[in-house]
Amino acid sequence: MIGENNVTSRKATLTLKISEFEVPPMQDMLIIGRKAPIGPEAVRRMAEALSPEQFTLIKMNHPKIEAVLLRNSLLQMIDEKLLMNIILEEAERMISDSMVLRSELKIAMSVQREVDLL
Amino acid sequence: MKISEIMTTAVCSITSDKSVSHAAEQMNEYSTNSLVVVDYGELTGIVTSRHVASAHPNRIVADAMDVSPNRISPEQNIWYAHSLLLESDKDLLIVMDHQEEVLGIVTREAIQIKLAEYLDPLTGLYRAPYIHYIGEKMLAENKPFHLLFIDVNDFGQINKQFGHPFGDDVIRSFSAVLSSLVVEQGDHLCRYAGDEFILITSGPESHVQQCIETIVSPTEIYHVTVSAAVGYMNGYREPNFFARPLRELIANASLLSTEAKKKSLFRC
Repeated sequence: MIGENNVTSRKATLTLKISEFEVPPMQDMLIIGRKAPIGPEAVRRMAEALSPEQFTLIKMNHPKIEAVLLRNSLLQMIDEKLLMNIILEEAERMISDSMVLRSELKIAMSVQREVDLL
Repeated sequence: MKISEIMTTAVCSITSDKSVSHAAEQMNEYSTNSLVVVDYGELTGIVTSRHVASAHPNRIVADAMDVSPNRISPEQNIWYAHSLLLESDKDLLIVMDHQEEVLGIVTREAIQIKLAEYLDPLTGLYRAPYIHYIGEKMLAENKPFHLLFIDVNDFGQINKQFGHPFGDDVIRSFSAVLSSLVVEQGDHLCRYAGDEFILITSGPESHVQQCIETIVSPTEIYHVTVSAAVGYMNGYREPNFFARPLRELIANASLLSTEAKKKSLFRC
């Protein structure tokens, strides 16, 4: 029982963090598990609504991975089959069928040429 | 035997952007196992309780539905619907008219219940309407076939001598022998009437000859020797085969079986 001299106090601490929202909320690629809570079509519609014509959905015939959403510019730089082989090889080590993985993928080209001097 | 006779016209619909959990709630509310997915007035798929059970509830219907459901016209035959379902391993067909309007759905269960009416309870074989459907379809598609009209010899005598229950045993055992011959993909067998059976096959002639040899060879059934006569129409060689209706082909094969029966009696 709380007496007249006892004082009860409740306080809350509010923490606010503000950062820039990425549009879409992903970078270059999403790898979608077969039982993930968001499916390929929903991911495609999200990307299309937020960044029209910038992403391509590639459906997979893989036991754990249902599809991969890729930034189109990557597909213009590198062969799709080659890229998908690398992605699958690396992603299947850590993905479970209920996960969606977000990934950054940068392609940098380094050129060195020998030319004749005048 | 048309799809329109057994289809369900009370069809509930949903849009593909709804969640799978919402689809499950709708199914519960309307006491249905399937929802037709319609986006902007167009059919885009179908979602069934099987899809709902196997997809994450947070997914949208578009990620759980069957995007290529089998469609069928209300005028189509139930046998055709049955073969469509067998080929595709799906649970239902969407019934649509020529204007691509959804008229209803027909489930595997409804088709199986209807087809069970055409099963002969004694032998477990389909009855005459089945072979009529198969034969007429093949004739319409210009696909040749062999037609064997099989008639058990002296079945009336067997009934008189040993009684009808024994006659039933003979028919059951004889149909088991015939069923064992149905090995090719294009083999179709039915109990046509009483002691008459029809086998339609698009298998090779060697298969047909093997079938005939087995059928006409006397078989011992419960210590009684039973034999049968066969009337054979070869659709690969018969002139004007496709110009004749199936009824006529069956009648012809039936007469040939009677002739074969007379010849065997004469030989005795």
